[in-house]
Amino acid sequence: MIGYLGAGALLAGLVMAGFSAVLSFWSGWREDAVFVEVGRRAFYASAAMIVAASVLLEIGLLSHDFSLAYVTEHTDLSTPIPLVAAAFYGGQEGSLLYWALVLALFGSASLVASSALGVRLAAYAAGILAAIETFLLVVLVIVASPFDLLAVTPPDGLGLNPVLRDMGMLIHPPVVLAGFASFAIPFSFAAAALLAGRSDAAWIAHTRRFALMAWALQGTGLVLGMWWAYHVLGWGGYWGWDPVENVALMPWLATTAYLHSSQVQERRGRLKAWNFSLVILAFLLVVFGTFIVRSGVVPSVHTFAVSAIGPWFFGFLFVCLVFSIGLLAFRAGSLGSSTRAAPTVSRESAFVLQNLLLIGVIAVVFWGTVLPLVSGMLGQARVVGAPYYERAAGPLFVVLLALMAAGPLLPWRHAGSSLLQSLRWPLAAAGAVAIVLFAAGVRSVPSLLAIPLAAAAGTTCLVEYSRMGMKLRRSAKGWAHAAAVVARKRRRYGAYLAHLGMVVLVVGIAGSHFWQQEKDVSLMPGGQVSVAGYTLTYTGAEQTQLADHSELVGAMRLGDQTLEPARATYPSLGGQALTHVAISSTPIADVYIVLAGVNADGSASFQIFVNPLVSWIWAGGAIIILGVVLGNVGERRTVFELQVARAANPQPA
Amino acid sequence: MILGWLPGLKWTLLGAVVAACVAYLVYSASSGSSEYYLTVSELRSHTTSGDVRVAGVVQNDVQRSEGGLQVVFTEKDGTASIPVEYHGTLPDIFQPGITVVAEGRLGTDGVFHASAVLAKCPSRFSTTPYTQ
Repeated sequence: MIGYLGAGALLAGLVMAGFSAVLSFWSGWREDAVFVEVGRRAFYASAAMIVAASVLLEIGLLSHDFSLAYVTEHTDLSTPIPLVAAAFYGGQEGSLLYWALVLALFGSASLVASSALGVRLAAYAAGILAAIETFLLVVLVIVASPFDLLAVTPPDGLGLNPVLRDMGMLIHPPVVLAGFASFAIPFSFAAAALLAGRSDAAWIAHTRRFALMAWALQGTGLVLGMWWAYHVLGWGGYWGWDPVENVALMPWLATTAYLHSSQVQERRGRLKAWNFSLVILAFLLVVFGTFIVRSGVVPSVHTFAVSAIGPWFFGFLFVCLVFSIGLLAFRAGSLGSSTRAAPTVSRESAFVLQNLLLIGVIAVVFWGTVLPLVSGMLGQARVVGAPYYERAAGPLFVVLLALMAAGPLLPWRHAGSSLLQSLRWPLAAAGAVAIVLFAAGVRSVPSLLAIPLAAAAGTTCLVEYSRMGMKLRRSAKGWAHAAAVVARKRRRYGAYLAHLGMVVLVVGIAGSHFWQQEKDVSLMPGGQVSVAGYTLTYTGAEQTQLADHSELVGAMRLGDQTLEPARATYPSLGGQALTHVAISSTPIADVYIVLAGVNADGSASFQIFVNPLVSWIWAGGAIIILGVVLGNVGERRTVFELQVARAANPQPA
Repeated sequence: MILGWLPGLKWTLLGAVVAACVAYLVYSASSGSSEYYLTVSELRSHTTSGDVRVAGVVQNDVQRSEGGLQVVFTEKDGTASIPVEYHGTLPDIFQPGITVVAEGRLGTDGVFHASAVLAKCPSRFSTTPYTQ
C-alpha cells in the first residue's frame, strides 16, 4: 500500500515539477506575472508531493513494512528506532529522496522571498529549480525508487552494519547532504540573473543568504564528519583525503571564495562575472561529486552501492556544464565593471588573491580526486594519498592564513603609509609566537609558519573588536546605542567571529597534525606505559556477553580517571568487530586509546595516540557557525533596501 | 563583447602567477607521492619499486598475534593471491570475504609488507556486502 502511494506521490511530483519548469521559463520570457505565479505554485505543489513521499517512506520504515525493498535492505527488527528513522537517508534511493526533499523545502523558501527581485528573474529561478527537481524525480522514479516492492515479503530485514549503529549517524549525513543539496539554490538565482540579463546587486543579496546557508550547513557537516571519524572509526585521525571527503570540501571552498568576492561587487560594483562563475562552479562541483561518489569510478574507502544512477548524473553534469558555460559566454559583454580597479595593495586585491588561492586549492583537490580516473585511462591507475595534499595544498593554506591576517586591516581604496602601522599588532603576535615556538624546540618550517600566522589572523580580529570598543566608548551615548551600532554592523562582527573560529580550528589541525604521537604496546595487568608524558596503567580486562554481541573491555588508569577502551564482536555478522575508542580530552591534548585485543598470556595490546589540540577543531567549528548565525540572523532588510535603491536609480538591464 | 569580461592586466598577471605556483605544487607533490593502484594479479607482473596499493579480497586464513596488532593474511583476486603482513590496528569491518586495499611494498621474500590496510567503509546502512 505504502509502496503504491509513495510511487504515486513521486510521479505526481515529477509531473508538477516538469510543468513548473516549462511554464516558468515560458511565462518569464513573456513577463506574464499571472502565469509566473502559476509556475511557482506548481513548484510548491511538487514540493508537497515530495514531502508526502518522504513521510510515506518514513512510515514504511517505522512500521517495518518489509514489502518495500528499501526497508528490507536497510533495517531489521532489532535496529534501534532512531536509526530506523535515519535509514531514510542511509541508502542510495532514500538519500536521493532526501536530496529532493531539501531542494523542495529550501527552494520553496527561496521562491517565496523572490518576487521582489522582478518578474523575469524570479520566474527563471523557479524554472531552473524546477528543472533540477525534475531531474532528481526522473532518477527517483525510473532508476532508484525507494518504493520498489519485493515479490515476497520477508519476515525480517537485513539490518544495519554495527559500525553505523552510532548516534553520529543521526546528524552527520543529513547535515552534509542538506548542505550539498542547497548549493542548487544560489546556482538557480545566479543562472536566472544571467538569463534575465540582470547583474546588479539585488541578486547578490538574495543569493548570498542562501549561499551562506549552504556554506554553513556544509561546514557543519564537514566538522561533524571529522568528529564522527575521530570518535568512532578508531584510527586516531579525522580527515583522510578520501574522494568522498574531497568532493564535499570542494563546493564549500568555492562558496568560501564567493562569500568574500561578493563583497567586492556589493561595495565596488566589480567582479560580477567572477561571482557568477563561483556560484556556478560550486553547483557543478556538487553534481560532479555526486557522480564520482555514486558511480564508483574512483577507488574510495567509502562505497555507496554502485548503481545505475552514475550515467544519469554524468549526463546531468554535462548538461549543466554546457548550459553554464554557454550562459556565461552569452552574457559576458554585459558584465563589465562600473568602477575602476582598486590600487594594488587594497582590500579588493586581498579578496582577489584569496579567491585565486582558494581556486588553487580546489584545483589541487580536484586533481588528486580524478588522478586515478585520468591515469587509468592512459595506462596503469595511480592514486595519491595524504602526503600529496599536504605538500600541494599546504603552502596555499599558509598564504591564505597570511591574507586572513592582513586582509581585514587593508582599506578598500587606498593603502597609504599607515599600512605597516595597521599591521603592527598581527606582526608582533606572529613574531612572539614564532619565537616562543622556536625557543620550545620547534624546528619544522610548516609549523613555524602556520601557527604564528594563525596567531596573527586571530590578533587581526581582536584588533577590529577593540577598535569597535574604543569607538563606542568615545561616543559615550550609553549601552543601548552601543548595542544598536553592533547590531547594525553584525554582519561584519559576525564575520570576524567566524574568522576567529577558523583560527582556532587551524591551530587544532596544525597541533594534531604536527605533534601527534603514537605507540603500540602489549601490557600485563599492572603494567605501565608512558606516551608524550602521559603515564597509563593497565588494570585488567573483562569479557561480557550481551544479547547479540560480546564485549571485551580493557581498563586503563590515567591519573585519577579510568579509561575503558572496548572491542565488541558480533557473531551474527560473521564475527565482525566494533572498536569503542576511549578518549580523555583536555584543551591541551587528547589521550586516545584503542584496544586491539588480549593475548593468551593475559596481556592486552593497545594502540595509544596522544593528539594535541584536537578539541580546538570542534570548538573552532562551533565558533564559526556561531559567528555566521549571529552575523546574519534577521538580515532580511538587504533585499528590500536594494529594491528601494534600484527603484530610485534604475539600471539598464 | 568579451572585452568587458576580461579582468585588468594586473589581475591577469596575478592569476598567471598563482596558476603557475599551483601547477608547480601539483606537479612536484604528485610526482613524489603518487602510487600505483593495482590488483593482485597486476602486482605479480609489476616491476617498479616503491609503494603501491593493492586491492583484493581477504581470504579465510587470517592469523593474528600480539593481541591482534600483528596480522598475516592472504589477499586474492580472480586469479592470483599474495600473503600480506601488517602491524597495527585493522578497520573494524576487516574480516574474510571483504575487499581491502593494502598500501606498502612487495618484499624480496614474496610477502607484501603493508603499512596501511584500508577496508571499504560501509557508507550505506545495509550489511549485505559485508557478510557474503
